Amino acid sequence: MDETALKIRGLTKTFGTYRAVDQVDLTVRSGTFHGMVGPNGAGKSTTIGMAVGLINPDAGTIDLLGADALADRPRARALTGVLPDGLDFPERLTGAELLRYCAGLRGIRDAAARIDELIEVLGLVKGAATPLADCSTGTRKKVGLAQALLHAPRLLVLDEPFEAVDPVSAAAIRRVLRRFVAGGGTTVLSTHSMLLVEQLCDDVTVIHQGRVVAAGPVSEVAGEIGLEERFVELVSADAPGSADLSWLISG
Amino acid sequence: MTAPSLATPPFTAVATLVRMRATMLRRALRENPAPMVAALAGALAAAWLIRYAVTGDRHTLTVLAGAWVLGWIVLPLLLGGVRGRLRPAQLRLEPITTGPMTTGLLAASAVGIGPAVSLLALSALPVHAAVRHGAGPAVIAAAGALLLWLLGLVGSAVALEAVGRAAGPVGAVLTGTFTGTVMGISGSVWAVAPWIGQVLVTGPPPSAITVLRRVPSDWPLAAATAAPGPATALLLGLTLLVGVGVAAYTTLVRRVLAAGAPFLPRRTDRTPAPAEAVAPPAAPAASPAAAVPADDDLTPISRPISPAARPAEAATVIRGPAWAELDRQDAAEIDLVTPPEPAPLNDATPGPPAPPPAAVPVPVVPTGLQRGAVVAVLHRELRSWARHPLRLQYLTFAVVYGLLLGMLPLLAHVDLLAPWAGPLAVLWASAMAASLVGLDGTALWMPLLTPGGEIAETRGRALAWLVVALPIGVLLTVAGILVAPGVDPLPALAVLPAVLAAGATTPVWVALLRVRPVRDARHPTAADNPTDIVSVLLALAGPLLAAAPAFALVVWGPDGLRPLAPVAGLIAGLAVGRGALWLADDRLARRGTEVLAAAGDRSAPPPPAVPLTWDPQWYRENRSTAWALVLLTAGWIPVLPQGLLVLVLDIRGGWIVASHLAGGARTGVALGMVGLGAAMLLTGLVLWGRRPLT
Repeated sequence: MDETALKIRGLTKTFGTYRAVDQVDLTVRSGTFHGMVGPNGAGKSTTIGMAVGLINPDAGTIDLLGADALADRPRARALTGVLPDGLDFPERLTGAELLRYCAGLRGIRDAAARIDELIEVLGLVKGAATPLADCSTGTRKKVGLAQALLHAPRLLVLDEPFEAVDPVSAAAIRRVLRRFVAGGGTTVLSTHSMLLVEQLCDDVTVIHQGRVVAAGPVSEVAGEIGLEERFVELVSADAPGSADLSWLISG
Repeated sequence: MTAPSLATPPFTAVATLVRMRATMLRRALRENPAPMVAALAGALAAAWLIRYAVTGDRHTLTVLAGAWVLGWIVLPLLLGGVRGRLRPAQLRLEPITTGPMTTGLLAASAVGIGPAVSLLALSALPVHAAVRHGAGPAVIAAAGALLLWLLGLVGSAVALEAVGRAAGPVGAVLTGTFTGTVMGISGSVWAVAPWIGQVLVTGPPPSAITVLRRVPSDWPLAAATAAPGPATALLLGLTLLVGVGVAAYTTLVRRVLAAGAPFLPRRTDRTPAPAEAVAPPAAPAASPAAAVPADDDLTPISRPISPAARPAEAATVIRGPAWAELDRQDAAEIDLVTPPEPAPLNDATPGPPAPPPAAVPVPVVPTGLQRGAVVAVLHRELRSWARHPLRLQYLTFAVVYGLLLGMLPLLAHVDLLAPWAGPLAVLWASAMAASLVGLDGTALWMPLLTPGGEIAETRGRALAWLVVALPIGVLLTVAGILVAPGVDPLPALAVLPAVLAAGATTPVWVALLRVRPVRDARHPTAADNPTDIVSVLLALAGPLLAAAPAFALVVWGPDGLRPLAPVAGLIAGLAVGRGALWLADDRLARRGTEVLAAAGDRSAPPPPAVPLTWDPQWYRENRSTAWALVLLTAGWIPVLPQGLLVLVLDIRGGWIVASHLAGGARTGVALGMVGLGAAMLLTGLVLWGRRPLT
């Protein structure tokens, strides 16, 4: 049995002269939560974008649930649910209309019950009736998560799913994701919250300057000192300087 | 102790804003050929105006100068020429006070192709005064022209902030009506060609001249020939108008700096539904939900919320505040593991997924048209057409413009164009749809991540446009026929199906080919109009190409075949429409990720810059881009000196082919040159649009 949901090897992407992702290897076990962490500009979103097909890689291979995702994009699209960070929705639709639109795009018949359940579980009763352009970031995240789940994918790829989400909604989202993974699904999430990774994830990959600097089970990567301190250790070589900014307090 | 002023010194502020605008202009010129195309076209028109000033009628010249200033104010709102403008809203956080900010923004707005070309065009006024009356009057006319130019500059800035900022459907419809009316009035002038010819040769009728005396564009030349007293009064009048414009702009800038918008901001908050009633502030928090932030920005964050009032969220809390207390028995009831039933796109997704199989079966991938997906995109698009302010503006503009172009000539007892109101409205509806992909921001990611989503996207967009445009075209055409029963409706009836069929798909291709990202996809305003003139021309090309055979059949065909012209129009429209659809499908399938990157400013990598020095290696590696540059540069030679300059200005020269011929042959060769150059430029634009972004 193939225990790997997503296997990335040698993934590389260069924008102009800037190498955003440099020979990244990533292995995500089936039926697990996999966290991707890294400083701003580390290459997490670019890696995720390439994995799901929003960005064309310059080099590398992506194996998704036993098949070449780059060679067979339609299959990968059918098996993957994606919540990208910072991309627009059809902004004139309400959340509920967006979900019906997604159901239509994917040919899901009798999707009304699923949509109602998602709206209820994610606390979107009000947000689902509001045009997305007028919704808060948190509500948009929840609507985005609902559309990613709607077609019952095998792999969920979530970029900052908890950003700007209130604690109660975050708890509901965690519960939904745990149910998804408990049912055999796999979740990859990119986040800046080390606490979230320690609480939720089985494995973690630390990306820094476009390269993987640590990967493995969370407990192993974190070691004795905890993930947050370990993370700072891993990326501190290029941390911001330590000037005391005395001018800032002199006035 | 007096605190030192924290505001930026006025001169520094003004100079900085001007430098910012100059930098933006330099970058725009380097990265995009469209501004240079507009500059060349404007320079040609300005040259014609100066030439007319030498021999033409004085009053007609002032009418043309006034129309030029009016167009300078209105056209940027319509064609996206404001995208590179500096706006006060962008500078709210800078320590610049209102006065220097207003001065700086106005000075910055003078740095651009539009102001430069307009200054050139308005120099026709002192040229006319110099030729007719001598140096002294020319100086007075020059002063008046300069004031007229300032009036255009300030008017453009006010229009951008006031009209262009109108938000919501009402503002969108008003803006579309305003721009459509101005353009319709300007355009309908050409519908009464004999009258225009008479005006150009002999000048306007006496009654019109009386009215013209009250129009500011008449005042520079009137001052040039008036006695010192009246001349001073006329110039002071122009100065006063400029002052009023500056005052209005200052007010707008002040309000933007203070409140973020020139008018009252649009309300986005709504009264909570009864089910979401707010608990009394004094009520004790019964559960953690009482301190929960609102789930969206429609409710104040600090507002305490009754758990009972928000059943979904309250239930969430009651189950337990920590994710660790997950209870699978009563947790999410939603079935996240069963594939949709039946789900053609997911029917290979296994049922019980735990543990996952060794290799997930390959799902059925749609190979043909997915009717459900197309219908989904159709519904999305129809809702967007009904709700998106800029789409409403485009549609209103197209209807008003088409209607006025067809019907206004009736005022001059010319009813020939009445049946054409429908085709003209459809034509402009097509042209104004040339930027819809960029207008939607990066929403394209959803169909791109869906199997068969690209096909559904192109067809759904085209179908939605057709659903919107078809009744408009038919209604206006029928109305025109009823209004002008004596006019042969066959030409309009022949062209209508052609422009409908080709107009549905051509803008879809253009919008994917030339993606112009909108600054704010969530709350765009008329000032964010991403449509540019090149996209409009490309979108017009398809329907016009499709309409040509049917129109030719009606005008020049044998009488027996004339009734078949509508069928010919439909066939040609379908053929062109299918071709454009193929191009759109190809674009989205092959370059979907690039289109998406171009649609998002934040994610779009900067396009590779063309080297300013000779770099053989770069040209070897970027052959198609190099060809695009060659075609975009050389294409103007047949268009301008070999074509338009022969036709418009009657120039002659040894190297100008048409000048060696006479009569119809000369005209034919010149027209052929224009066609050749247009083809070169079009090919160049296509190649430029396909250049690699990385």
